[in-house]
Amino acid sequence: MTTFKKVLKITALALYLIAALLPFYWITITSLKDSKEIYSFPLKYWPSKISFNSYKQLFSFANFGIYFRNSAIVSLIAAFAAMIISMFSGYALSRLKMKRFKNRILLALYFTQMIPGFIIMAPLFTMLSRFQMTDKLSTLTILYITMVIAFSTIMAKSFFDRIPISLEEASMIDGCNIIQSLFKIVFPLTLPGLAAIFSFAFVNIWNELFLATMFIFSDDKMTIPVALNSFISKAGISWDIMSAGLVVSLLPTMIIFAFAQKYIIAGLTEGAVKG
Amino acid sequence: MRNSQRKLFIMIIPAFVLLILFVYFPIVKGGVVAFQNYNLFDLTNVHFIGLDNFKAVITDRNFNFWRICLNTALWIFVSLFFQFVLGFGLALLMRKPFKGRGIYSALVFYPWAVSGFAIGLVWAWMFNGQFGMINDLLLRLGIINNNIGFLSDPKFAMMSVIIANVWYGVPFFAIMLLAALQSVPKELYEAAEIDGATKLRQLFDVTIPYIKPTIISTTLLRTMWIMNFPEIIYGMTGGGPANSTNILATLMINKIYKFYDYGQGAAIGFIIMSILFVYAFFYLRLTSSKEVVL
Repeated sequence: MTTFKKVLKITALALYLIAALLPFYWITITSLKDSKEIYSFPLKYWPSKISFNSYKQLFSFANFGIYFRNSAIVSLIAAFAAMIISMFSGYALSRLKMKRFKNRILLALYFTQMIPGFIIMAPLFTMLSRFQMTDKLSTLTILYITMVIAFSTIMAKSFFDRIPISLEEASMIDGCNIIQSLFKIVFPLTLPGLAAIFSFAFVNIWNELFLATMFIFSDDKMTIPVALNSFISKAGISWDIMSAGLVVSLLPTMIIFAFAQKYIIAGLTEGAVKG
Repeated sequence: MRNSQRKLFIMIIPAFVLLILFVYFPIVKGGVVAFQNYNLFDLTNVHFIGLDNFKAVITDRNFNFWRICLNTALWIFVSLFFQFVLGFGLALLMRKPFKGRGIYSALVFYPWAVSGFAIGLVWAWMFNGQFGMINDLLLRLGIINNNIGFLSDPKFAMMSVIIANVWYGVPFFAIMLLAALQSVPKELYEAAEIDGATKLRQLFDVTIPYIKPTIISTTLLRTMWIMNFPEIIYGMTGGGPANSTNILATLMINKIYKFYDYGQGAAIGFIIMSILFVYAFFYLRLTSSKEVVL
């Protein structure tokens, strides 16, 4: 490659990087400004004095700690449960021998990815309120498991497809039954895949807004997206608290993405359904 | 072996119990709701009203239906075009390994992991009419003389939400296309080079035909997904000003969350689903691929 082309390529890569990071930079800088400075000219691209006031307000006045805890509990439990359930369903789909049945099941799973989620809101709401299950974090957790289970299963299946069946057959000849060979041979081999499913589910659940808005009414049960939504008032948005809230809401997915990026990308390209 | 096949059946059950209870069952009921008078504040008065919900949606004076359909088409196709082109560009740039590619991809792909709603809010702040960074940068560069109300001026609002959506979707295409690019056998390029094909010719004659299945399935899936994706608009403009950014999906949210009219909401959902089915059918016909590589 000529030097000119090299410079061109590096410039293009740098532009992409700047474009990707600029909005995050701006929201973080805003959250570290004194609230007066946010609304004063000329705009500063670095705070004249770094202030954590917005964060203090967020956690004292706006109770953000509770929302964070709710989001963390719901996301961790639901993502973990989804991982376990899809481990089994994905394995079964990968190893079942009946082709027609298998294809129908897969089609039924893909179908759930196509429907607009809002169409099920009304019936779901009446159904769950009949059983007094609204306004409960446990209900939300179950709904979230359901929300990600189809895609998790598809992902898990594609991971198990790549593990040769001969390994299990060998272990069964050695006297393992199917459950033993599953836990001793197959699951340990798919640990990266399971990490991908967990991170995938976690990110999607952590970010979910509309189900939570519909099924949670009490302030002490709100998750972070619902809380952020409640910061929007008719008078507009106070960007000091909002920017701090956004930064805090980004942190967990940022950590997960940094660690599991490789697996998530592998999962995304294998499953290829969720955007 | 028979015994273990039976065990496999049992393993599928938990996932499907959840899906049947909370997805398939409600969706059948949701189809019914589209033909009912169904308002959350008036639950004692639920009854069938035929196609009235559809009529009400189409003739609604406050939300001009055809304007919203046009907005939806703009929102989908302009976003999709730029997401694809820019994502493909990024994938091509990242194709050959370079120092720090791992960290680079973690940073440049990160927008994918953020919620659409949070993205909407972040971009609302970027585009803020007074204190937004974009206005400030454009002023400093001398491109504009006065602040633009990106989100309050109907002329600019659609463009602004689309820019945010493009920004959000580039990582998805880059990730998918990058994976596809890495599967193209090197020998094909070597052969093309011997034939004297330029890099550009190689792109159109080797690369694109080879990864065509991925291109078809990603653009198709992404279209469906963008159509059902109201979060960015919800966070940035809520569909305003003056309906200029309302799409079918945000209209549905308005009906459900503001007016509690589930009947009309479900009717819009029905319309969205029908459009998507017809679209998917013709898209696959036109691109003549019998099987989408999902």
